[in-house]
Amino acid sequence: MSSPADLVLRERVPETWFVEVVRTWAFARRNVIMARRNVFFVFELAFWPGVAMLSHGLLTRFLALDAKMTAFILIGTVALSTVQVCQLDVAYAVLFDIWSKSMKHQFLTPIGIRHMAVGSWLVGVARGVTVFALMAVIGSWAFGFDFVGGGPGSLALFLLGCCLCSLIIGLFVCSLVLLFGTRAETSAWAAVNFTVMFSGIYYPVSVLPGWAQVVAAGIPLTYFLDACRQGYGFEAQFTHAWLKGFALTGLYVVLAHWALASAITRSRGTGLLLKLSE
Amino acid sequence: MPAWYDCRRMLAVDAKDLTKTFRSGWFGRRRKEALRGASLQVPSGTIFGLLGPNGAGKTTLLSILATLLLPDSGSATILGHDVVREAGAIRRRLNMASGNGSFVWSLRPGEVLSFYGGLYGLSGRRLRMKVDQLIEQCELGPYAKTEYNALSTGLKQRLAMAKALLNDPEVLFLDEPTLGLDPDVSIRLRAQIALLRRERGTTIILTTHYMREAEELCDEIAFIKAGRILAQGTADELKRQIRIGDVISLRLDPAAPRGLGDLPGILQLQARGEHIDCTVDAVDKRLPEILRWLYEQGVLVRDCQVHEPELEEVFVELAR
Repeated sequence: MSSPADLVLRERVPETWFVEVVRTWAFARRNVIMARRNVFFVFELAFWPGVAMLSHGLLTRFLALDAKMTAFILIGTVALSTVQVCQLDVAYAVLFDIWSKSMKHQFLTPIGIRHMAVGSWLVGVARGVTVFALMAVIGSWAFGFDFVGGGPGSLALFLLGCCLCSLIIGLFVCSLVLLFGTRAETSAWAAVNFTVMFSGIYYPVSVLPGWAQVVAAGIPLTYFLDACRQGYGFEAQFTHAWLKGFALTGLYVVLAHWALASAITRSRGTGLLLKLSE
Repeated sequence: MPAWYDCRRMLAVDAKDLTKTFRSGWFGRRRKEALRGASLQVPSGTIFGLLGPNGAGKTTLLSILATLLLPDSGSATILGHDVVREAGAIRRRLNMASGNGSFVWSLRPGEVLSFYGGLYGLSGRRLRMKVDQLIEQCELGPYAKTEYNALSTGLKQRLAMAKALLNDPEVLFLDEPTLGLDPDVSIRLRAQIALLRRERGTTIILTTHYMREAEELCDEIAFIKAGRILAQGTADELKRQIRIGDVISLRLDPAAPRGLGDLPGILQLQARGEHIDCTVDAVDKRLPEILRWLYEQGVLVRDCQVHEPELEEVFVELAR
């Protein structure tokens, strides 16, 4: 027996790879529009990275560091700002809906984690690269720092590594927010600082206490920083740093995806998904 | 009511014994039972009203059916798909709008619709046409350049309605759709809801606190209280089920004779001089009997009026 609704012709979109792209692009486009309209994006993109580069550059002057040591510090500065901005975009996939209390609309649609994560991350990559370019210009102009000193291939891998780390951090932030609600919002800003503290941002990981070095060895960014600095003549802390970094990244992407999927299921169970829409 | 209503009772929604308890506080010690075995059947292509006092479990029930919330126990299907195991399949064919809905603050109406349209897989010319059609249908054209935060309550609700129609849903949940709207906007929105059912055969489940709205729109109504469905049926059936009764107001000459209250079917009698109000179980049956009896007693009936109970009275009675 047909239902009355069956008597009406409804054109449904077939599930194809193109629809996957469309759903992903929808998230990317939303982040772009928000970036254009909100003044805090300008601060994220230009103000804080600019201030960080100038203040750290001046610190290297004050400490009378040579070009090699200046590179060590400024690579860390660039990594922190790039990862910070890029991971924020991934977190915005959930944070925009929490701030506007519109969470349920997103989860009423037939989307998957991949759409929100990749769509937002692509904008994050664009913004992260912009931040890097801005800092490269300031660093080169004010402190004579050569960002391509380690070679263009090394630089490209370093940026890719930073952006992938941002995806992982962003997904974990989304998971925390969906598990603990608005109380976990600050993790969007705190997570990066916590991570870079262990990954040897302004110092080699060898100066960390033993237990912290174990933690550092589990963070992909540690390997990317180490590999990038090797290009500037620093002694390697890890063998096959690029390989280990990307292998760990692959593992964490899978883990982060699982964590977010579990967090969504749990928030559907506890009702938090609805509370975040009220 | 459409002609096919009675002959095609295929269920769009079939929920059985749904329970849901929300836990809060340390280790989930504080518990609030939102649903305690709610069962609901909604025939396809109908407008179905879900009524109940605040905190009765209406939104919880809708949220479970909309795949936004997982039930603790029980089962529910939407268009034959299980709400827990086949959420993806349901989401393609279902949508929801609520009176207190919200969207991202900086987006304009067209951008909100484009974003969610994209999530439903619409793109290119098809997406633009759909967005333009909904903007026109919901009279949002003059506000195309206005960001969401600057829209009035009525416009925000129109946008919520437009968003809910993006995927041409077969099942549409409306959670207090006319909450806080001006009367003229409410009337237009109600007309739009009725049109959706008539032209698209959409099954619509709506919660509302406005009894007139429920009576005007709904083919069937369920009353929920403390997480249980207490009654379900058409408005007339509900009135009969809870036996509020119809009131027959009579002006008699001479005043009410003894023995009137002993007649079958009279639930209550209130006399004020020559005026008397008889509450009866079924006015069609009891009115001729009463008039005949009064005639036999030699009582002259100077005036006779019949008041059917309002749905509001049913609500008050059930919510008690």
